[in-house]
Amino acid sequence: MKDKKILVCDDDHGILEMLEMVLEEDGYQVVTEAKSINALNRIAEESPDLILLDIWMPVITGDQILSQLRSDDERSGIPVLMYSASTDGKLIAEKHGADSFIAKPFDLEDLLSKVSGLLVQSS
Amino acid sequence: MTPDEIINNAAIAGLDQTILSRVLESSNTGIVVTDNLLPDNPIIYCNPAFEQISGYKRIDVIGHNCRFLQGKDRNQKVRKTVSEAIANGQNCVVEIRNYSKEGKLFWNELYISPVKNAAGEITHFVGIQNDVSSRKKAQLELEMIQSETEKLVEERTRMYQESQDFMKSIVETLRESLLVLDENFTILSANTHFLNTFKVSINETKGRLLYDLGNGQWNIAELKRMMEDILPTNNPVLDYEVEHDFPHIGKKLMLLNAHRVELEGQYKNWILLAIEDITERHAVQQRKDDFLSIASHELKTPLTTVVGYLQLMKRLMPAEADDKFKSIVEKTERYVHRLNHLLSDLLDVSRIQTGNIELHKEPFDFDRMLVETIDGIKAATPHREIILHGKAACECTGDESHIIQVVSNLLSNALKYSPDNSPVTVQVSKISEVIKLSVTDQGLGIHEADYAKIFDRFYRVTEVQRHYAGMGIGLYICQQIILNHGGTIWVESKRNVGSTFSFTLPVQD
Repeated sequence: MKDKKILVCDDDHGILEMLEMVLEEDGYQVVTEAKSINALNRIAEESPDLILLDIWMPVITGDQILSQLRSDDERSGIPVLMYSASTDGKLIAEKHGADSFIAKPFDLEDLLSKVSGLLVQSS
Repeated sequence: MTPDEIINNAAIAGLDQTILSRVLESSNTGIVVTDNLLPDNPIIYCNPAFEQISGYKRIDVIGHNCRFLQGKDRNQKVRKTVSEAIANGQNCVVEIRNYSKEGKLFWNELYISPVKNAAGEITHFVGIQNDVSSRKKAQLELEMIQSETEKLVEERTRMYQESQDFMKSIVETLRESLLVLDENFTILSANTHFLNTFKVSINETKGRLLYDLGNGQWNIAELKRMMEDILPTNNPVLDYEVEHDFPHIGKKLMLLNAHRVELEGQYKNWILLAIEDITERHAVQQRKDDFLSIASHELKTPLTTVVGYLQLMKRLMPAEADDKFKSIVEKTERYVHRLNHLLSDLLDVSRIQTGNIELHKEPFDFDRMLVETIDGIKAATPHREIILHGKAACECTGDESHIIQVVSNLLSNALKYSPDNSPVTVQVSKISEVIKLSVTDQGLGIHEADYAKIFDRFYRVTEVQRHYAGMGIGLYICQQIILNHGGTIWVESKRNVGSTFSFTLPVQD
């Protein structure tokens, strides 16, 4: 479980860095992507076991990335945990087929239990 | 001489002097005769009627010029007429102010007639006097009444003109477009602001139908129906918004208000239509709302990082770490939590403003929700007493997370604005098809004047502002949530006794 690879995509470097540290501390392998436009390429390159995806990003939003991912037969099964500061983020996440949603700012316990829960389900 | 004069002269010549003298003496018209051949034309005869009118005895007047009758009132214009008649030896009739022996004014209708001798020389003047004071008084009174009436009419006209000018200057000064319409919605007048705003001339406006103006911008079925209702029902049109691509000025948002015209307490069959361009105001409000939304969202992002690191710090904290250090981390976490709370409230306001408040209504157990919420608050403030009375004993359809937000907010306020040693009471009951919940505190209370205002966004009671932190949006959010659920929220309060905030919530959506 602890060797699982997680890809985090967020335009905010502070959050990326923090999540990387938190997840690595819990034993996961973490790759980060700050440019949403590169997200799908990175997913193809890295083949992560789980994707953490911010919703509101410039150029291409999290829900647009998710829609494209879900229509990609090879990678549509990768679990996606979406997050956002706005409460309507939960609706957007559900609508676009995210496996789970968490509101910013995260409660670490909640985040880590959701992450491990999704990884257990998919394996 | 005319034939009549010849006959008259013959008749008089046939009369005995005694008879003529009796006629003079018994006449009730004052008669005076002066001798023009003597210096200063003195009186040589006056009859008893003259004595009666003037109060003078014959002995007082014989030998005097008639002018003494005017007393000191010498500047009368008619005196000139009299002097000229005497100088030219002509007849004249004047109304002259004379004064009796006692000094009492009487109006004398004076007839002066010269007497000539065979050589055509004026030997005498005969003055016939009639006291016309009462007639003159009546006439003067009539003239006075006429003049007063004229003055009054003038005054009224002036006042009317002034009030018209005043109204006109108000209408012209207003920074709002005004139209006056008759009962057929034909435009009777338009103020300058209207003409300038819509870049039209008075000729394109006055006398035309409201609905035919421009490119038919006011020809809206709903507006028409409301306008047509004004005269029969006296119901005004209030704050009706029209967004339209107007000729000359482009797309604008206009706010319409229309009332029936009332003049001096009487309804007229006229309608006053006020049109306000709120395009810019609306845009400013929109920018404010956008700012609120962006600012609160942007602030959340770094906060998320801080919260994450703080929690990581706690996880990584060695068991042997200094208690002081642990306490600092705890406190930091608490204040960061509060910051997050404030930001969430701001985000909520911005969502309400933009109409993006989304409710996920599902049935939930109201009593369970209430107990859990109260327990949550008790855990955060263990030293405070919260007493729960009653039960809803039913499921309720609504957005549970939002209702929790309302209950938490009312409870936090009750605790915040009341002394630490006083309890807060929660009363819940089901009445008919609604659940009613009241939160009562023993705090400082609220002035009645503030009852409605405290639900306004960013409103804070002045004295509260000085002593308690807050942004003045909690109750606004509560109100919006309850209204969105079809319920009502209100406050009842007594100064220095406490406040009760209540809301009702329909059981079924």
